[in-house]
Amino acid sequence: MDLFDPYYLQQLAIGLSLGMTYALMAIGFTLIFGVLNVVNFAHGEIYTLGAFAGLVLITAAAPPIAAVVFAALAIGAFAGFSLERLAFKPFRRFTDEASLKSRAMRESTLLSSLAVSIVVREALEIVFGSQMRSVPFEYLINTPVRVGPVILVTGDFIILGVAAAMLIGLQYLLTRTRIGLSIRAVSNNPLGAKYVGIDTDRTIIMTFVVGSMMGAAAGILVGLYYGAIFPAMGFVPGIKAFVAMVMGGLSSIPGAVICALILGISESMATTFVSSGWSDMVAYGFLILTLIFFPNGLFGAGRERV
Amino acid sequence: MTTLLSVDDLHVAMGPQEILHGVSLTVPEGAIVAVLGSNGVGKTTLMRAISGVYRARRGSITFKGESIANLPAHRIVQAGLLQAPEGRQIFSNMSVRENLVLGGGEHGLGELDRVLAMFPVLGERLKQNAGSLSGGEQQMLCIARALMRKPTLLLMDEPSLGLAPKIVALIFDLVRRIRTEGVSILLVEQNARAALRVADHAAVMEDGRIVLAGPADQLRDDPRIAEAYLGGHVH
Repeated sequence: MDLFDPYYLQQLAIGLSLGMTYALMAIGFTLIFGVLNVVNFAHGEIYTLGAFAGLVLITAAAPPIAAVVFAALAIGAFAGFSLERLAFKPFRRFTDEASLKSRAMRESTLLSSLAVSIVVREALEIVFGSQMRSVPFEYLINTPVRVGPVILVTGDFIILGVAAAMLIGLQYLLTRTRIGLSIRAVSNNPLGAKYVGIDTDRTIIMTFVVGSMMGAAAGILVGLYYGAIFPAMGFVPGIKAFVAMVMGGLSSIPGAVICALILGISESMATTFVSSGWSDMVAYGFLILTLIFFPNGLFGAGRERV
Repeated sequence: MTTLLSVDDLHVAMGPQEILHGVSLTVPEGAIVAVLGSNGVGKTTLMRAISGVYRARRGSITFKGESIANLPAHRIVQAGLLQAPEGRQIFSNMSVRENLVLGGGEHGLGELDRVLAMFPVLGERLKQNAGSLSGGEQQMLCIARALMRKPTLLLMDEPSLGLAPKIVALIFDLVRRIRTEGVSILLVEQNARAALRVADHAAVMEDGRIVLAGPADQLRDDPRIAEAYLGGHVH
C-alpha cells in the first residue's frame, strides 16, 4: 500500500477541508467561550441563523453572493446582541464580590444559553420544517479545482481565506488594540476592569456581536459549501468547535484552529482506514484524551480552570 | 481649600442588610484624608460606593461639584476619580505593560514615563505577567495603573495589607510623593499609626458610621484613638 497514492492525498485534502469548516466555527466560539470566558452553548444556533438568513435572501431576491454573506453578518450581529441580553445579562445583576467570584453564577449561563439554543432550533423547525433545504445550484461554492494530484473546490479556498482573515484579525484585535485588551481584562478580572474605567457591559456585548457575526458567516459559508441548510445543522459543528477549543487550551484562538484541523484530518483518516462510523468517535476520543493528559489543552498557557 | 469630594449621609446596603448607615466625609483639594477602622466596619464598602461599584441606597456623593452617586463605574473613572482597590484587582494573566495600557484608557501611554520613574521596578518587568510579581510589586502596579490616567483624586484601599514592613514604608513614601504631584488622596487603612503620619485629616469608622473625625495630628493625640488603634501610648 502506497501512502502517497493520490487517493490518500485526496482523503487528506478532504480532511483539511473538513477541519477548515470546524475552524471557521471554532474561531467565534473561542472568542466568546474561551477568551471572554463566558459559558455559551448557543453558538451553533447563531451559525444556523446565519445560514437561514442567507437562504431566505437567496430565495426571495437572488442577490449577489456578497449580499448573502452581508445578510448573514447582520443577522449574526443582531442575534449575538439579543442572545447576550436574554441569556447572559440577567446573571450579571449582582455586583457584590461573592457573586462576581461565584462559579455557579457564571456557569448558570450554560443552561440559559442552552435554553435559548433549543428555542431557536425549534422555532426554525416550525417555520422552515426540519428537513434539509438545498441551496440553488448557482450559489454553491463547489466548482472543482485541480491542485496537482488532488481535486479541491472553490469553497475550500474561500473558507481557508475567511478563516485566515478572522484568525489574523482577532489576534491583532486581542493583542494590539484597546478594545481587545479590554475583552481580555474583563475576562481576567471583571471587578478590576471596572476600576480602570472599562465599560464592562459594552465590552461583553461587543464581544458577543463580533463572535456571533463570525459564527453566522461560518454558517452561510458552510451552507453554500455543502449545499444543505437545516435547523439542526449547527449542532455537530458546535460540538466539534467545543472539542477544538478545549483541545487548544480554551483561550487560544490559534490553538483552537490547529486542533480543528487535527480533528478534521483525523476524522477523514478514520473514515478512510476504519469506517465512517468511527469519525465521531475520534472527536470525542480526542476530547477525553486531552482532558486526561493535557488538562490545560495542547496550547494552553497554564490557567486555573479547564 | 476647596472641597474635591464630599460624601453626605451615604447609605449602602447589600440585599436586605444595610452596611453603611449614613456616612459623611469630605476630601479637600490637595489633601490626604485617612479613613481608619478595624476589619468589617464598612471601609471597603464606602470606597466601592464612591467608585460606583456598589450602588448608594440614599445620600449624595459629589466630586468636583457634580453628583456622581450611582453613575456607572467607568464614568466615575473618566471624571478623574481613580481607585487602587483592596486586593489589588490587577489583571494577573496579562503583562505589566498591558495592565498599564489598560490603566491609561483613552489617555494612552502619555503618563508612562512619569509613572515608571516613580516605580522603576515595574519598568524592569514590563513584559512579565502581572500574576508573577511579588505582593509589593503587585501593589505598586495597582497604584501605577491608577496613576496612568492622571487622577484628580486617588482612592487607596489598604495599600499596606499583607506587605513586609520595609515595603509598607515604601508605599507610604509613595503616598506622600503622589500628593506632591497634585493628586488628592483618600486612604483607607488598618495601619492607623502609619496612616495618621501621612494624612492631613482622618476619620474613624465603626459599624458603618463615622464616629470621630478631625485633623490627623489631633487624632494622633486623642486618647480614644491611642487606646483603640495605636496600642496604648503614642510617641
